[in-house]
Amino acid sequence: MRILVLVRKDLLRAWRDRRAFVVNLLLPLLLTFIMGLSFGGGIFGKSGISVIPLVAVGEDVPSALRDRLAEQLAETDFFALEWADSTEARRRVTRGEAAAAVVLPPGAVGDYFRGEELRIDVWKDPGRPLKAGIVEQVLQRALRQVQAGEAGYRALWPDDEESMPPGAEEDTWSDLFAGDMNTVWKRWRRVGGEGGFTEVGEWFLARMDHQVALSDAMAESRLDLAVTDAAATPDVAESREINLFSYFLPGFSVFFLMFGVAASARDLHRERAAGTLQRQLLAPLGTNHIMTAKWLSSVVQGAAQMLVLLVAGAVLFRVDLGPDSWSLLTLVVLTATAAASFFMMLAVVTPNEKVMDNVSTTVVLVAAMVGGNFVPVDAMPAWITYVGRWVFNYWSNSGFSLVMVRGESLAHDLQPAVVLAAMTVGYGLLALAFTAWQRRRGGLL
Amino acid sequence: MIIVENLVKRYGSHRAVDGITFEVAKGELFGLLGPNGAGKTTTIGVLSTLLPADGGRASIGGHDVAGDPGGVRRLIGVVPQEIALYQDLNARDNLLFWGRIHGLGGKALGTRVERLLELVALGEHARQKVETFSGGMKRRLNLAAGLIHNPEVLFLDEPTVGIDAQARTKLLALIGDLAADGLTIIYTTHYLEEAEQLCHRIGVIDQGRMVAVGDKEDLISQIGDEDRVRVQVPSERHRALTSAAETWPGVDSVSERRGKLEIRVADGGAVLPPLQAWLAAEGLDLAQLEVIRPNLETLYLNLTGRGLRE
Repeated sequence: MRILVLVRKDLLRAWRDRRAFVVNLLLPLLLTFIMGLSFGGGIFGKSGISVIPLVAVGEDVPSALRDRLAEQLAETDFFALEWADSTEARRRVTRGEAAAAVVLPPGAVGDYFRGEELRIDVWKDPGRPLKAGIVEQVLQRALRQVQAGEAGYRALWPDDEESMPPGAEEDTWSDLFAGDMNTVWKRWRRVGGEGGFTEVGEWFLARMDHQVALSDAMAESRLDLAVTDAAATPDVAESREINLFSYFLPGFSVFFLMFGVAASARDLHRERAAGTLQRQLLAPLGTNHIMTAKWLSSVVQGAAQMLVLLVAGAVLFRVDLGPDSWSLLTLVVLTATAAASFFMMLAVVTPNEKVMDNVSTTVVLVAAMVGGNFVPVDAMPAWITYVGRWVFNYWSNSGFSLVMVRGESLAHDLQPAVVLAAMTVGYGLLALAFTAWQRRRGGLL
Repeated sequence: MIIVENLVKRYGSHRAVDGITFEVAKGELFGLLGPNGAGKTTTIGVLSTLLPADGGRASIGGHDVAGDPGGVRRLIGVVPQEIALYQDLNARDNLLFWGRIHGLGGKALGTRVERLLELVALGEHARQKVETFSGGMKRRLNLAAGLIHNPEVLFLDEPTVGIDAQARTKLLALIGDLAADGLTIIYTTHYLEEAEQLCHRIGVIDQGRMVAVGDKEDLISQIGDEDRVRVQVPSERHRALTSAAETWPGVDSVSERRGKLEIRVADGGAVLPPLQAWLAAEGLDLAQLEVIRPNLETLYLNLTGRGLRE
């Protein structure tokens, strides 16, 4: 209960601290608003991207053709194509290892050459809208070219190779285009007599069938590109409207949360300097009580700040918070707990508020960079992504991408939640152990 | 109530508290007098369980400070040198918070808070943020926070630092009332007059050591009850003045001290007429004359050779 007394005190102070209110809530809200408006202008317009990893599925595509395609795409320095079976392809896209999977159904190539329709599935990673969008556009263009090529082929090489009735060839086309059906008719009767009528009629109908087939080829392709998010099953794929700001709002929110929680952890130094920490230690409280209460109040403030920003994004900019509110809430709380543990640890190992201020600001900026708060992680070099995995915000961003962008629940991929929970416990225990050690040697004062 | 034996506290090789021993009886107001850096605050830190001792032992109300810190904390209240309050909360909320973390609550806490606010004359400012208070008001509230859980022993660590004379007088009167009510108090200060005015007994502390302990009269008697008249004359006339002074009534001894002659006499005023007459007869102007009556400061100077307000 005394922990709650301590938490209540911190929350009361935070509530009455106008400066903290402005810095931790109003300023982030204002910046979120400005950023939300900025996205209306298309922030991706000039951004460069790295090689796009693609995976292709085509179980009966000849290996020579597979290798040739992979080589040609690699030569563009824009795509890296690998072939895989459908299960592996879905796994890679779902886990963000490939921007999209291009799936050719079994027997598709042969069927197409036999004149049957061909449906090509594209499973895209909703967490990589930029790269998946590029893949989709490239495929659409390629299919249009194939369609145009087919139509041109049919026009140039009609499958009906019969010649026109003898003697009628010379002027028939000009008469037809002139609309002079009377002359055409007379000529056909003159040339073919009574039997010629039937012969010319058949020839005419064959030509009309050819023209209809050519028109159909241009109007309706036998090629169909079906694009779905990898998170949805192919059979029940639902089309979700993804707001571009949805990809960035969680990142911004986590960034502001880091600053807010760092400021809250710095309060430990302020209390030590003011003597209120010593006074608390004189009450029947352990250091664990005091640290846990400080951690808890940081969590409450951080989670509240983040929820306000997310809700503001949803209300003001129609950001989709995802279909699973519990997953979103769990992720917000886990992000706040991991951040609070991390910055509490930083607070207890730094000697004073000034050092803590400098260290935490540096850490927040670096972690935000490598953890994907400013630039999507998939647009960064692989080594930065590897470094990012060591900071909690990387996992928060991954989790929010899963919940808000892909529309999944946390249960679909537990890794972000598990890592955040582990970081919460790990950093928290380190902070408690260090504080207890400091207390024993009187270093807390 | 408080027993301290050979208490030692080291910071690296520096002995901040170096074998201090003293006792404080129940209901006594005990002063720890010493200059800045003498070891007063460190002693309070160890006795209040905030700092671990490196040697010796101490107990409060029968509870060993090292062995039963929880028992000690239940008995004590501490008013630190700093204003250990939440500046962004009002006076009432501060006291409610400190009461709650000591396990108080409900109506009893509310009544206690109101009583303390009245006691420290802040009843009208209960809803005012502490950051808007004057230095004296903050000091009084700081004192109230140390009393919120009704402790049996109160440590006051230089509670009048940084406040004006009027506020100090008010605060000292308040502390005097608490002592009169039977609260056991350890009061650290480097203001001599505060210790003389308030404390039943005084321990003089310097460089981590207790150099003298006793009531005011005991301490002064340690340096004798004679006045000292110090006079500066040319050194070649020291012998002549010494011979003359030894004949004056009440003079006990004459000695040379740091280039001056020091005349020990029962009543310093009585030697001034013959001294003036001697100087006139010798054709000398009075360069410097000092009459020192025995008090705590002279005791301290005698013991340490340093001023109290260093």
